[in-house]
Amino acid sequence: MPAPVNILVIDDEQIMRDGSSRILSKDGWGVITAENGQQGLDVIKGRPDQIDVILLDLMMPGMSGMEVLDHIRSINLNLLVIVITGYATVESAVEAMKKGAYDFIPKPFTPDQLRIVVRRALEKRSLQKEAEFLRQERERSLRDIATEKSKIKTIINCMGDGVLVCDREGCIVLSNPAASRMLKVSEASLIGNLLSQCNLDSELSKTIEESLRSKDHNYTSVSQELGIGDSGESFLRAHTAPVRDDLGETIGSVTVLQDISHLKELDKMKSEFIAMVTHELRAPIAAVEQQLTVILNRMAGEISEKQEKLLSRAKERTKGLLTLIKDLLDFSKIEAGRMVQYKEPLTLQEIIQKVVDLMKAEAENKKIDLEFPAPSQNPLIQADRNSMEGIFTNLISNAIKYTPEGGKVLIALTEEGGFAKATVSDTGIGIKRDDLPRIFDKFYRVKTVETRQIVGTGLGLSIVKSIVEAHLGSISVESEEGGGTTFTVFLPKELNPPTS
Amino acid sequence: MAKKILIVDDDPDLVEAVTMILESKNYDVAAAYGGLEGLQKANTENPDLIVLDVMMPDKDGYAVCKELKADPKLSRIPVLLLTAVVSKIATTRYTQQMGMETEADDYIDKPVEPEVLVKRIEALLSK
Repeated sequence: MPAPVNILVIDDEQIMRDGSSRILSKDGWGVITAENGQQGLDVIKGRPDQIDVILLDLMMPGMSGMEVLDHIRSINLNLLVIVITGYATVESAVEAMKKGAYDFIPKPFTPDQLRIVVRRALEKRSLQKEAEFLRQERERSLRDIATEKSKIKTIINCMGDGVLVCDREGCIVLSNPAASRMLKVSEASLIGNLLSQCNLDSELSKTIEESLRSKDHNYTSVSQELGIGDSGESFLRAHTAPVRDDLGETIGSVTVLQDISHLKELDKMKSEFIAMVTHELRAPIAAVEQQLTVILNRMAGEISEKQEKLLSRAKERTKGLLTLIKDLLDFSKIEAGRMVQYKEPLTLQEIIQKVVDLMKAEAENKKIDLEFPAPSQNPLIQADRNSMEGIFTNLISNAIKYTPEGGKVLIALTEEGGFAKATVSDTGIGIKRDDLPRIFDKFYRVKTVETRQIVGTGLGLSIVKSIVEAHLGSISVESEEGGGTTFTVFLPKELNPPTS
Repeated sequence: MAKKILIVDDDPDLVEAVTMILESKNYDVAAAYGGLEGLQKANTENPDLIVLDVMMPDKDGYAVCKELKADPKLSRIPVLLLTAVVSKIATTRYTQQMGMETEADDYIDKPVEPEVLVKRIEALLSK
């Protein structure tokens, strides 16, 4: 329903007021009348927003129409005034138009003439209202955006985590005080500068540039650890993700930085402690096992069968302890960052093939079919050779361990997106759904009737996971109880293979 | 004449056990309980082979090995490095690298299986 329309008629002649009222109210418009200029102005001042069109007689005793027009214009420039002029007084009509009247109608006029003029003015009025509404909307939106912007800026500036936003050209467009503090550069040298000019950590710049260049829609976010400062006095964890527009085009990147120095420090102390303890533990156990070995080999005289049985069991136990210590040592090495230091370009095929060759005998002993068909793709990755051997030794020996005689272990290697993808599948006892989420946890071992006889420390898979993550990769597992297990490892492909 | 083997390890129990293994195979055995003593006995005992522990408090096996190999009188004596790190999975690199760098002739993890130790020693002596 359209808003009610009000028309004010200011005329000193009763006949004119009544006549106009009659004609205009027939069309459903509300009509208010005033018999002189002052009265008219009072009405307008009383409700300036409710008057849509004013019909104003120019020739009135007291305050003249022209004067009234001036006053109206001073109240509100948008008020639409139609002046009623006496016959043959075109000059005054022109003058009124110059003063800002919207239209004029000469006396005498027919009802239709009046209707046409008023209707035209009302159309103008409704456009005016529409425009006013849009203007207010726009103002409100702009205000909202400004508020939102200021709110976001405040949030970002108050955050303990560092934030860096780059546009598609690699120019930093937004950063916060935390970011400049963590990266040890001034905020002014960040914003408005290209990544290459900011003297940022080179690993971080590389990651951001890769994320800006990413065309692949599966490329989501990359998480990395950075050592800041020459002596590596602080450590950051950086999460970088591309920003895409509605068409999926990369239009920039966002990096969030967390200071993990204190965590690193704790970790380092813990790892050093573990390393110290394991060395102290290892030496005496190794000596005990050595002594047991000598006795068992009858190098210290004859022993009875019963003694031999007991001593063999004792030796098994010391062996188990030594394996546990070795795993602990591996772990503390990874966490101290000493394990994955020698990255070089290599192919997983050669690594896996070597491990498969080493494991052949173990598989044959258990009558397990160990297969690694030649892959059609052989992606190059940037990795630590021994760590990679460690991963696949662990996964493949697990697969053999947990697969009953006559089963099969299949290793496959392919490429997917920017990653080399290796899977190790077995037809073994599988893993219960409840156990799945925890198998990468430290010291977690699945306890079932079938696994009781299998020697393990519960550290292997968590070591594997740490190594994979230290290479910016990921590992996942799929399994069904009794239906075999598949481990899938993703490792990022080498982006700039050496041209040879 | 029996070949003489010098065992250098700071753990007397381990020295004793290894001595028993070697004596059972009719080797002459001399023992040193630290890196410095090991260097000294390498000179005085005139061994045919040295079994050398890595982790020793006064002077570690790498340093001892380096000095042995730098000494023209002793450099021909084969050195079998006894490492405390189990050479499985990813830890091999460290030992291998260090072993190569120190020019040890072979390395073996302790505790050792008697037949493995003897086989390695025989291989080194027959070179």
